[in-house]
Amino acid sequence: MRWIWIDKFIEFESKKRAVALKNVTMAEEHLHDHFPGFPVMPECLMIEAMAQTAGILVGEAKKFKEKVILAKIKKAVFSHYVKPGDTITLEAQIDTLTEEAASTSGQIRCGDKLIGEISLMFSHIDRNIGGKKFPEENFVFTDTFKSLIKDISFPEQN
Amino acid sequence: MRFILLDKITSLESGEEIRAIKNVSLAEEYLADHFPTFPVLPGVLLLEGLVESASWLVREKEDFAHSMILLEQASNVRYKSFLAPGGQVEYTVQAKTIEENVSSFKGTAEVNGERIVQAKIGLRHFNLAEEDARFAEQDARIIERMKGRYKLLRIEN
Amino acid sequence: MAMNRDEILSNVQEVLIDALGADDDEVTPEATLMGDLGAESIDFLDIVFRLEKAFGIKIPREEIFPIEGLMNNPDYVKNGKLTDAGLEELKKKMPHTELGDFVEDPDINKLGDLFTVNSVVNFIEMKLNNK
Repeated sequence: MRWIWIDKFIEFESKKRAVALKNVTMAEEHLHDHFPGFPVMPECLMIEAMAQTAGILVGEAKKFKEKVILAKIKKAVFSHYVKPGDTITLEAQIDTLTEEAASTSGQIRCGDKLIGEISLMFSHIDRNIGGKKFPEENFVFTDTFKSLIKDISFPEQN
Repeated sequence: MRFILLDKITSLESGEEIRAIKNVSLAEEYLADHFPTFPVLPGVLLLEGLVESASWLVREKEDFAHSMILLEQASNVRYKSFLAPGGQVEYTVQAKTIEENVSSFKGTAEVNGERIVQAKIGLRHFNLAEEDARFAEQDARIIERMKGRYKLLRIEN
Repeated sequence: MAMNRDEILSNVQEVLIDALGADDDEVTPEATLMGDLGAESIDFLDIVFRLEKAFGIKIPREEIFPIEGLMNNPDYVKNGKLTDAGLEELKKKMPHTELGDFVEDPDINKLGDLFTVNSVVNFIEMKLNNK
């Protein structure tokens, strides 16, 4: 199982908002444990899909120079479950962005139906978690993630 | 990958508190992506461990009355540190309320006595047959499988 | 933006209840953010972002919670306690906080106890009045 919970970006406004989508399919093995006989996408993985959408939005805002890590799930609320054959869209907005951290809000929808609302906080870890050692290179934004946004053209960044 | 984020339930006080552990091993495939050169258990899977622990408290308390137990709300989930392969996390979840279709908990995850996550979670529990009577069979099957999984997780106590 | 102290306290309490998941009755004016309410590093950032939004002001974190600058400076800390220079710096940087007994025993492990709900209210009051 890969640890990539979004399939592509469909909208991307640098430093502001982004929309990604994920297809849910029977081919995903883990669904068959949750639950056996009636697979639904686990809510924690929907949170991760939002974290990846928002995390890339935040990372791109600093040209992927920072290691952006999920530090806090402020609130995640779910009202419907999602089944194989469904496609969910994840829309994330940056609320605040500073040198040390970022705060985002987001909505998950299946068609017009609101599935969940998720607000997160990310930390730029080299600037926090004092004392702990991390590898030099940016292990968070690997080529796999950056390739998700390669087809989106960005305005000239300053 | 199997989506079961607990290895053993180490203690359970009916309707009150549950403790469980999970080992982390490089054999878990997703660690290759999270992250390459710095494998650590993803934060949402630590949350899932708390959700599963809370779910077992509900299932045991209501004698497996419902098939579907889903996360309805998580709040103030704070991550303090990382958990690498070779390590083990201990979950402690305490019930605040357990009603027929909803429940609320607070939970922590510790590694070597040091807290690495804490969270507040709310679950919702129901049977598919409540929405559509044709799914009664699915409910029964899920419940049987979950009873079996519970026995496995409590094999030593 | 004219706000009296009670309004400020009420808004601050709401921010802390949301950011820390605290209960209404836990967020008393004397409650310490770290000890009583369980605030951690990431929470301080969350609190600052929410306060900025609630009061429409900019709050550099080091201004309201100036711990790092103090703790990482060898001139200010010796043997786990703040030096006289450290204490002076603390008084200068945190006029919004009552130091009380801390002056007698400036143990850096107790620095966290200085951050009370009251000190946040004091800080906001000062900021709004200087606008």
